[in-house]
Amino acid sequence: MKNSSWLIKTLVQLAGLVLFFALWQVLSGFYNHVIIPSPMEVGRSIIDQAGSGELWEHGRQSIARGLTGFGLALGIGTPLGLLIGLNPVAAALFRPVVVVFQVTPLISWLLLAMIWIGFSRVPVFIVFVTTLPLIVINVFQGVHSIDRQLLQMASVFKINKDRIIREIYLPQVAPYLMAGIANALGTTWKAVAMSEFLSVQTGIGASMAVARINLETADLFAWTITLIVLGMLTDRLLAYLTRRKLSHWM
Amino acid sequence: MGNCIIGPSGCGKTTILQMLAGVEQPDRGLIKGSIGKRVSYVFQEPRLLPWKTVAGNLDFILRDVLPPVEKNKLIDHYLKIMGLDGYRDSYPKALSGGMKQRLAICRAFAYPHDILLLDEPFKSLDTPMRLGLVRHVIKLWLAAPRTIVFVTHDIIEALLLGHRIMVLAARPTEILEIIDLNMPHDRRNMGEELLGSLYTKLLDLLDKENKKYFPEL
Repeated sequence: MKNSSWLIKTLVQLAGLVLFFALWQVLSGFYNHVIIPSPMEVGRSIIDQAGSGELWEHGRQSIARGLTGFGLALGIGTPLGLLIGLNPVAAALFRPVVVVFQVTPLISWLLLAMIWIGFSRVPVFIVFVTTLPLIVINVFQGVHSIDRQLLQMASVFKINKDRIIREIYLPQVAPYLMAGIANALGTTWKAVAMSEFLSVQTGIGASMAVARINLETADLFAWTITLIVLGMLTDRLLAYLTRRKLSHWM
Repeated sequence: MGNCIIGPSGCGKTTILQMLAGVEQPDRGLIKGSIGKRVSYVFQEPRLLPWKTVAGNLDFILRDVLPPVEKNKLIDHYLKIMGLDGYRDSYPKALSGGMKQRLAICRAFAYPHDILLLDEPFKSLDTPMRLGLVRHVIKLWLAAPRTIVFVTHDIIEALLLGHRIMVLAARPTEILEIIDLNMPHDRRNMGEELLGSLYTKLLDLLDKENKKYFPEL
């Protein structure tokens, strides 16, 4: 029973995908391939890019930049979020800054980064500033969701502050941090491509700029698909990790 | 010695326990007798750490106070007498409400203490489960008798467990009556004449107290 419903679900999903490609194929027949390239052309573009090593070369650059910016945001955002959550003075000091970070338009960051730190480091910087608030806010919310009754229990049994943080706060924050990481990684690949498009000569975003100038729309589609796959891969990986690490008690 | 505090809700029963445990400070006056005493606590809710296993929840409060070998022995011992040894490595989400509260009782008894505070620990359970757990508490207590302060609004629980039953009045909170009850625990069942008459007496007291606020009843 369970097996057959799984099979039906998979079949329906496959049918949806087939329908999508069929529609795309039909649509591409009506338009010039510069406007809408056919699925075949896009497929060939991906294979060509993979064959020439361009896919790996530019993809590698984007992934490295994305993960550097994201890693910095994670490394700084997690303790910052904990600090803001635990300490009212730190909250008063940093929370407005985090909010300002969050609402500052991407374009302002981009232009300021170009002036401040030079073009080559813009993508890393942009990923960092766009993902940092996501991490901080999620961690902060995790700290605030803490069960006061558990804290009182720990204080009755004379558990010290250090253990309260490690054994009550951190496990409580973990699901929130995972949600923040998922959110931040989703943003990472978008931010990296956008900032590469405007600031540098290598990476997926830069390759998209080249494809646009040369009217290679199939390449543009190919790079878009690369970004989508990248986003989906990290999302799935994270969902898997969350399930493995947290589902036994949640 | 088992002290039971019984009284209408809102009369400050929980506050008394929290002050005894030192997590709440009195506005005025001072508390005698509990200074420097080690206190253990069973709360109204189980208050288990959901990310720790059954054994892990006991380990959490024992790790700092006992050497490892002794600690593990104690954990085994308490899980066994409370019928939880089959659930050592389960997480609280897999336990029923009654089992969770049983684990909370294990935790309180396992923690080295001079005074054990119980705050309506069976409030959210059905009557047979409640009576079962009261007997569990009595069993554990007889094995290691120490001062118990047991807060409840259930007269039967108080009669089954208490050596001294204090009846509180609400607003202002004061002691209405103190009943000493020296009947051994193994003889206490509600069919006993003495318990029956005390039940009526306590019910009457609480009812009168209630009528002060709702004279139309």
